[in-house]
Amino acid sequence: MRTEKGMLKCGVAAALLVLPALLLCAAAVRSEGESASEIVHRAFNYMRGKTSVATVEMTIHRPGWERSMTIRGWTRGEKDSIFWITEPPKDRGNGTLKRGTEMWMYNPKINRVIKVPPSMMSQSWMGSDFSNNDLARADSIIRDYDHFLEETRVEEGMKVYAIRSVPRPGAPVVWGMERLLIREDGIFLKEVFYDQDGEPVKILTTDRIESVGEKLFPVLWTMARADRTDEYTVVRYDRIRFDVDIPEGFFTLSNLRTPRGE
Amino acid sequence: MTLLIAWRNLWRNPRRSVLTMTAIAFASTLLIFMLSWQFGSYETMINASVKIQTGHLQIQAPKYNEDRDMRRVVEKPEEIGKRVSTLPGVAALTFRANGFVLASSRDRTYGAFVVGIEPEREAALSTLKDITRQGSYLAGEDDGQALLGELLAANLQVGLGDELTVIGQGRDGSVAATVLVVKGLYRSGQDEFDRSAIHIPLSTFQDVFSMRGSVHEVVILGDALSRVPEVKKKTREALRETGRDDLVVLDWRELLPGLVQAIQMDLVSGFIFYVILVVVVAFSILNTFLMAILERTREFGVLLAIGMKPERLVRLVLAESAVLTCFGIAAGILFGVLLTGYFQEHGIFIPGSTEILRQFGLPERIYPRLSGLSVTLGPVLVFLITLLTALYPAGRVKRLRAVDAMAAP
Amino acid sequence: MILEFAWRNIWRNRRRTAIILTAVVIGVWSMIFLGALMRGIADQMVRNGIATLTGHIQVHQKGFQADPSIENRIREPGGIRRVLEETLPAKSLWTARVRVPAVAANARHSAGITLVGIDPPVEKDLSFIGQAVRSGRYLEREDPRGILVGEALLHQFETRIGHRLVLMSQDTAGEIASRSFTIVGVYRGEMESTEKAYAFVTREAAREMLKMDGAVSEFAVLLPEEEEAGPVAAGIRNGLSPDSYEVLTWREMLPLVSAVLALYDQFIFLWYVVVFIAMGFGLVNTVLMAVYERMREFGLLKALGMRPLRIVGDVLLEAFFILGIGVLAGNVLGILSTLALKTRGIDLSAFAAGSEFAGLGRVIYPTLELRDILLANGVVFVLGLVVSLYPALRAARFTPVEALART
Repeated sequence: MRTEKGMLKCGVAAALLVLPALLLCAAAVRSEGESASEIVHRAFNYMRGKTSVATVEMTIHRPGWERSMTIRGWTRGEKDSIFWITEPPKDRGNGTLKRGTEMWMYNPKINRVIKVPPSMMSQSWMGSDFSNNDLARADSIIRDYDHFLEETRVEEGMKVYAIRSVPRPGAPVVWGMERLLIREDGIFLKEVFYDQDGEPVKILTTDRIESVGEKLFPVLWTMARADRTDEYTVVRYDRIRFDVDIPEGFFTLSNLRTPRGE
Repeated sequence: MTLLIAWRNLWRNPRRSVLTMTAIAFASTLLIFMLSWQFGSYETMINASVKIQTGHLQIQAPKYNEDRDMRRVVEKPEEIGKRVSTLPGVAALTFRANGFVLASSRDRTYGAFVVGIEPEREAALSTLKDITRQGSYLAGEDDGQALLGELLAANLQVGLGDELTVIGQGRDGSVAATVLVVKGLYRSGQDEFDRSAIHIPLSTFQDVFSMRGSVHEVVILGDALSRVPEVKKKTREALRETGRDDLVVLDWRELLPGLVQAIQMDLVSGFIFYVILVVVVAFSILNTFLMAILERTREFGVLLAIGMKPERLVRLVLAESAVLTCFGIAAGILFGVLLTGYFQEHGIFIPGSTEILRQFGLPERIYPRLSGLSVTLGPVLVFLITLLTALYPAGRVKRLRAVDAMAAP
Repeated sequence: MILEFAWRNIWRNRRRTAIILTAVVIGVWSMIFLGALMRGIADQMVRNGIATLTGHIQVHQKGFQADPSIENRIREPGGIRRVLEETLPAKSLWTARVRVPAVAANARHSAGITLVGIDPPVEKDLSFIGQAVRSGRYLEREDPRGILVGEALLHQFETRIGHRLVLMSQDTAGEIASRSFTIVGVYRGEMESTEKAYAFVTREAAREMLKMDGAVSEFAVLLPEEEEAGPVAAGIRNGLSPDSYEVLTWREMLPLVSAVLALYDQFIFLWYVVVFIAMGFGLVNTVLMAVYERMREFGLLKALGMRPLRIVGDVLLEAFFILGIGVLAGNVLGILSTLALKTRGIDLSAFAAGSEFAGLGRVIYPTLELRDILLANGVVFVLGLVVSLYPALRAARFTPVEALART
């Protein structure tokens, strides 16, 4: 359907202009002809980049108190990542390494690297609203789900896709369903996690889309519980660079023991 | 009038009357003792479980008992502790904090749960000190030292004096990690527990897990099981008064639902045993009465012969039985209370069981427990039984024919 | 001659004798019944323990009992299978299971559990799970994604049949294995803690998830009624290398149950004494009364020259006969009544208030054991004779004058 319409527009435009119109046409066809799955893939890759180096400030809000940490992180694709806490001093030097779906933690006080066992995977990472599993299986959204485009709307002049993602049979995913809001340029606006009864459990929203290097990126991420407004975690990107060269031996256990603060 | 005659009749043959009364008294005493024993053994079981695990009562943050969430804490516990320990009926009080960690020795890592305790207060409240079999128990200043379950130590391959590291999550989510030195090893007899528990001083726990002075449980031991509901109520009031009614007070029933189930099951079989005992007792009394009546057949024959109406005779016999019963029961209750009371103080020692009980940290004596129910149920049943059994011989009396009666040997 | 004398004395006053006899019979009957009931309870306790996955005997890799993790799995189970087939008595049942600590999670909850991979058709007759499924259905051999959970766990996780649970555990490569299962059935266990602890999947599903190839965690054996676990376990041990494997009986795996069992012998003896006391005072009184009633008779006998010792002996002998008859009748009554209840058992849940027990089948099957019967008889005879001593001595001390004076 949409393809036909696109072609129609295309035809009209082509009648007036030649090359630029063709280019425009192609672009229009690409975004309109994409399946939900392709949209999600594209967005995921856009957000991750090939590699990234970032400094974030994570603030955990709970009724009555608040805790902030500064974290420095390196990622490569969706498989490898490593980060260290640099502030506050009490937590400085604590590191987490992820390779594939395995995670390790390092603590300078006891000077040990400990592999995170299954029993800790469901627990929150550093007390935040992100679980260890959320981090370890961040690519779960493109691996374990089937996606369906529910609606396309236009907000602030950009197309926004509302997608419903359903876990594939047999996928080791605790959610019953997810709903995604993805902008046409690939930015994730919102991710809602539902249980198997269709009730929302957690909501991840992004904000403050700014120019970072050559691309646009949301600087503020908020993970909140669906049923409470006083419990949430905010991650603010102070600095992020994409597609940086990261040396080969970077994502290793021995490297985990040598925290980088810079 | 009948009563007076009845009374005099009884003392014409003191031996027989005393024998019958003794039978009734014995029956009452026995039933009182057995029921008190039954209740006492439950109480012993409950107190033992309570001492090993939970205490009689605990003050916690709401929902902590369900999800054991590290963040559900009891703030400023010392205030509460000071207030509650002065309440009547409170024998001991202490604080505990719990957390889940990964415990690592040089070569191995295991999941374990860490309990922060106040060593001196804990010793008054739980059996932890008694079951510390190797090394020594914790003292208040033993920062960084730990007691481990023997099985956990074996799995981790650590011994006394060795180091182990634990890493978990603090109250605020920060990383909680520290190095501990093994000071003592305990064995509770329950593999599950010995395989996964580590005890450290509360101050160490609070520091490592960023508790900011809070705890998870205020554990209370009462003087006696019977006083627990009262203490619970007073504790609730105390919390309300000090403005801390955001906290909940749980009793051992809510903390150990499995125990309640087990006792309920046991009560039912205990009930059957008691019924059998009552049946035996009933027959004994019936026999005694029958024998007594039988002995006096001649006497009754003479009475009938000289013109006493059968109904009057029956009434007389019944009156005698009633008097005997009342005295018997009174004596039985008195003696029963004294006997049971003595053992309630000193406990009963079952030979051959000490070794096994000690292994599990259980007390070696059973203390029967007198209660309103145990003192009255037995005697009431005896009373009913004697009334009923007295009817049968009385019925026989009615059918006596004077001539036959007097001819009896 | 003395015997005949005593015997005839008993029957001279039928009523008196009958009364004393009744007391003895009731006493003995209740002792036997009570003893059988207590044995039944003890047996039930053991049976429950065994049914909750323990079985009579288990074979593990050495070290598994202390640390039941995947590292201590049996890598080559073939050898054990052979030994079991050779040494187990006929009609034994056995199975191989996977048992690992795992974490179960859904959208809102997660908890540590024990994941048990079973062979459904064999497990059905071997442990409690075969009869315990209350809603949904039991597992089938071909059930790659099915899981059975306890009712308490279902509530804890706020989920229901048809919903998924994600299970995570450590596989043989030391990596995290996770797999999604669908709840197909819900079971009820003896205790809530059982329901929260165990989740059942097929052995194949567990193996696949944990990359176990042909390995298993444990072998469990259920012996037929008559067999003793100890000797059979010894036989199995002989066929296996002690450095690699451990063979445990239920007594070693359930120390608490074993301890309570040992105490039961004491309990039964104590109860016998209690019942005897209940019966005893009635006995003393009636015998005493009987003796006093025969005061004239004893006085006459003495006047006729019978020695006091013989009178004591006579009374005791009479007591002995009465006890004998009473015991015999009591035994018959006791055994019959116990056998009558043995097949159907006593259903405790009928008495117990509270719906938690309904349907849990808390049935006690009274169990007769020769040693209990012998003990009951022994107690009655010995104590009975001791108790008759006082009346006997009294009887011997009646002087002819006293006797004739009181009629």
